Amino acid sequence: MTINIETVSTDRVVKQGFLSRYGTTLAMPLGILMLLVVGAFLSDRFLTIGNLTNVLINMSIVGIIVVGMTFVFVSRGMADLSVPATVAVGGILVLMLDDVIGTWPAALVGVLIAAIAGVVNGLLIGYAGLNPVITTLASGTIVLGIAQAFVGGVIVYGQDPGAKEFLTGRLFGVVPVIVLIFLIVALLGHLALSRSVFGRWTYAVGSNPHATEASAVPVRLVKAGAFVMTATLAGFSGVLLGISLQAARPAIGAGYEFDAITAVVVGGVSLLGGSGSIPRAIGGLLFVQLLTNILVLQGVPSEPQGMVKGALIAGAVALDVYLRRRGGRE
Amino acid sequence: MTETAPALSMRGISKSFPGIRALTDVDLEVGVGEVHAIVGENGAGKSTLMKILAGVYQPTEGTIELQGEAVRISGPIDARKRGIGMVYQELNLVPDLSVAENITLGAPPSKFGLVDRKALRARAQEVLTELGARVQPDDLVGSLPVSQQQLVEIAKAYASNPRIIVLDEPTSSLSENEAQALFRVIERMKAAGIAIIYISHRLREVIELADRVTVLRDGRLVESRSAEGITAGDMIRLMVGRELTDVFPKREVPIGDVVLKVEGLTRPGTFEDVDLEVRAGEIVGLAGFVGAGRTEVARAIFGLDRAASGTVTVDGAPVEATSPRKGVDAGIAYVPEDRKRDGLVPQLTVKDNVTLAVPGDIARLGWIRRGVERKLASEKATELGVSPPVIDRRVDTYSGGNQQKVVFAKWLATQPRVLILDEPTRGVDVGAKSDIHRIIGELAAQGTAILMISSELPEVLAVSDRIYVLHEGRVSAELPRGASEQDVMQAATGEVAA
Repeated sequence: MTINIETVSTDRVVKQGFLSRYGTTLAMPLGILMLLVVGAFLSDRFLTIGNLTNVLINMSIVGIIVVGMTFVFVSRGMADLSVPATVAVGGILVLMLDDVIGTWPAALVGVLIAAIAGVVNGLLIGYAGLNPVITTLASGTIVLGIAQAFVGGVIVYGQDPGAKEFLTGRLFGVVPVIVLIFLIVALLGHLALSRSVFGRWTYAVGSNPHATEASAVPVRLVKAGAFVMTATLAGFSGVLLGISLQAARPAIGAGYEFDAITAVVVGGVSLLGGSGSIPRAIGGLLFVQLLTNILVLQGVPSEPQGMVKGALIAGAVALDVYLRRRGGRE
Repeated sequence: MTETAPALSMRGISKSFPGIRALTDVDLEVGVGEVHAIVGENGAGKSTLMKILAGVYQPTEGTIELQGEAVRISGPIDARKRGIGMVYQELNLVPDLSVAENITLGAPPSKFGLVDRKALRARAQEVLTELGARVQPDDLVGSLPVSQQQLVEIAKAYASNPRIIVLDEPTSSLSENEAQALFRVIERMKAAGIAIIYISHRLREVIELADRVTVLRDGRLVESRSAEGITAGDMIRLMVGRELTDVFPKREVPIGDVVLKVEGLTRPGTFEDVDLEVRAGEIVGLAGFVGAGRTEVARAIFGLDRAASGTVTVDGAPVEATSPRKGVDAGIAYVPEDRKRDGLVPQLTVKDNVTLAVPGDIARLGWIRRGVERKLASEKATELGVSPPVIDRRVDTYSGGNQQKVVFAKWLATQPRVLILDEPTRGVDVGAKSDIHRIIGELAAQGTAILMISSELPEVLAVSDRIYVLHEGRVSAELPRGASEQDVMQAATGEVAA
C-alpha cells in the first residue's frame, strides 16, 4: 500500500531548548565527574582501585533491584515498596534449602517464590488497577509477615561456604564476581528496555496508556510485567545477599526499596513515566554511592548522610518537574 | 431603567483564537423571565459564546450588559457573583457528598467558621421545594440516576440566586419522561423571573419551551426571533444555509464488495441496533450531533470498548470485537477523535509511534530489528508527508497536522481492510487538512473500506459515497451521495419526514 502525497502543509517543527534537550543527558556524567574530583581532593584513599572497587561491590546487590525498579518507573507504576520482602524471601529460602536440595537449586526456588509475589503485585496493579504504592506496601508487609512466621524471627545460617567463596571471589583475581553478575543483569535489562518490544511497550504505557491501549498493546500485561520483573530481580538480589553473607533474617532487605528508588530518581528517571533508561538509573546509583563513600571517608555520621540522600531525591524530583514544564507539557 | 432593561444584552461579540475566528459580531438579548434557545450545528459558536458569558473567555470585541449595566466578566467566580449560573452538559458534582451538600457547595451556611449542617439541609430543601424537584436532600449524589443528578446541578446553580441560568444540552442524556420533569423545573425558574438560556439539539424541546430562538452558524448570528410559530424545518434551514466555501476533492473509484458489516450493534443507553455496511473503495460518512453515539459505535466496532450485543464481520469473517488487538488482526484500524488521549504516545519518537501497532512486523522473538523498523517508519512517514520526516524526533515536537499524519501512518502500517476515521481533520491546519483528504481518497482507490465520522457537514457531504445519520444512538437515516445538508440535519435532529 503506497501513497504519494505532495505536501502542501506548512507546519514547522517546534524548537526545543538546549537545556531540555541535552541538560538531562549531560547532567549525570558531569555530576559523577565532579564527585570524583571533589573526592580526590578530600581524601587520599578515595581515588584508589581498592576503594572504587569497594564502591562497585557495594552497589551491585541494590543495582540489580534498580534495573527492575527502572521498568516500574518508566511504565508509570510509581514504585515497588515490596522489595524488602522479596529480598528476604530470596535470602531466607536459599539458606534454608541449601543443605536440602543444594545451593543453586535452592537459589532457583528463592527467585521463583519471589517472582510469584511479583505476579500477585502485577495482577493487583496491572489487571485490577489498584494503586501500586499501597498495593506493594500491603503485599510486602504480608510476605514479610509470612517469612517471619516461617523462620520464627531468628537468623537462618547457610551451609555452603563454597558458594560464598565463589560469589565474593574475583574472576581472574581482578573482577569481583558479584559486580560481574550485576553488570550482566544491567546489560540484559538495558537491552530489554531499549531493544525489545516489551521495552518499547513499557515506555509507551508510561507515556500515554490510553493511546497505547488503542494501538492494540496489552497495557495491563506490560504494567504487571514491570512488577514481576522487579520482584524476580529483588529475589535474585536476596539470594546473592544470603549466599555472600551465609546468614539471613527477615529484615535483611530493609532499606533496599529506598536505595533503589533514590538511585532511579537521582538518575533522572521520571516518576511520571515514559522516559528514562537503565544507564541513567545506574548513573544515579553510582552518584549516590560515590557521595556516600566520600561522606564515610570524611567520617560523617550516618544521620547526616540520610539527610543528604533525602535532599537529593527532593532536588531530583523538582528538577524533573521543572524540565517537563520547560519542555512545554502540562 | 433597571426595571425594564433586559437581563442580559451581549452586543457585537467577537472572539478570535490563534488562527481561528470563533465568533463574529454576535448579539444576544435575553429578557427577564424569558427562555431563550440557542441552536446551531456543532462548532457554530454556541459554546464559545456561553464561555464568554461565564467568564471563561474574554471577548476580543463587544460589550456585555447585565440589567442594563455594562460589565466586564473577569472569570467564572466573577460570573457567579454577578448572578450568572452555568449548568454544563458534563455534570460537576461531588458524588460522595449528599444532595444538600452539593447544592450548597459554593457557599455552605456556617456558624463560627464551621459548616452549619442544619441550616445547610434546610437551605437545600428550600431550593428543591421551590424548584419542585423530587430529590431527597440526604441522598448521596453518586447513588442517583443521571436525570436526578441533573436536577441537583440545576438546584446548585439556582441556590446562588442567579438572574441568568445557562443550560447547555441539559436533556442530552435524559429520556422523554425525565426531560418532562426538567421542563417543569425550568417553568418554575422562569416564573421566578430568571432569564434562561437553553442550548439544545432537540428542536422539539426548543419549540415547546422557548420564548425566543437565536440561530448561530459559523460563529455568526443568523437570526434571532420569537419562537411563536417556529417549526423545526425553519430552524434547520437557518442552521445549515451556508455557501460551500471549502472545496473537498472527491475521487471517483470503483466500489467493490461489502468489507465491513455491522449488525444489531447495541449498548443499551448509548447506541442501539446499529446496522452498517461499508464496501471496498467506499467512503461512508457517519453523521450526527456530538453525543449521538458516533464515537461510541466506532470504538465498539474496533474493539476499544465493548458492545453488549451485535455482530461485526470483515470480508465475511466474524470479528470478536473485544480488544483493539482483535480489531487490528481482523483488519480494522481506528484513527481516534481525541488525538492527544487516544492517538499519540507523546514522549516516543515518530518511528516508535508509527510501528507501535505492528510489533510482529518489526521484531523477531520479541527483539526489535532496528533496520527493519527504521525502514518501515521512514517509508510510512514519507508516504504521508510528515514534514520534516525525521523519524527519531519526539512526536510531541511536531504540529497538530503532522501529528495526525503520524497517527495515520501508524494505522496504515497495519495494512487495514477497514479504516475508521473519527474527526480526522479536527484541529489541523488547512494544508494538512487537504493532505489528509487526499490520503483518504488514495486509500479508497486502493480498495480500503472507509467509515468517516465528522462534525463538519460540508466535509461529510463532499467526501462520502453514502451517509448514515445517527440520532440518539440509532441510525435515523441512510442517505445517498448528493444528499443535502438539510437532509442530514433533519435526520440528526430526529425530525425525519415520514
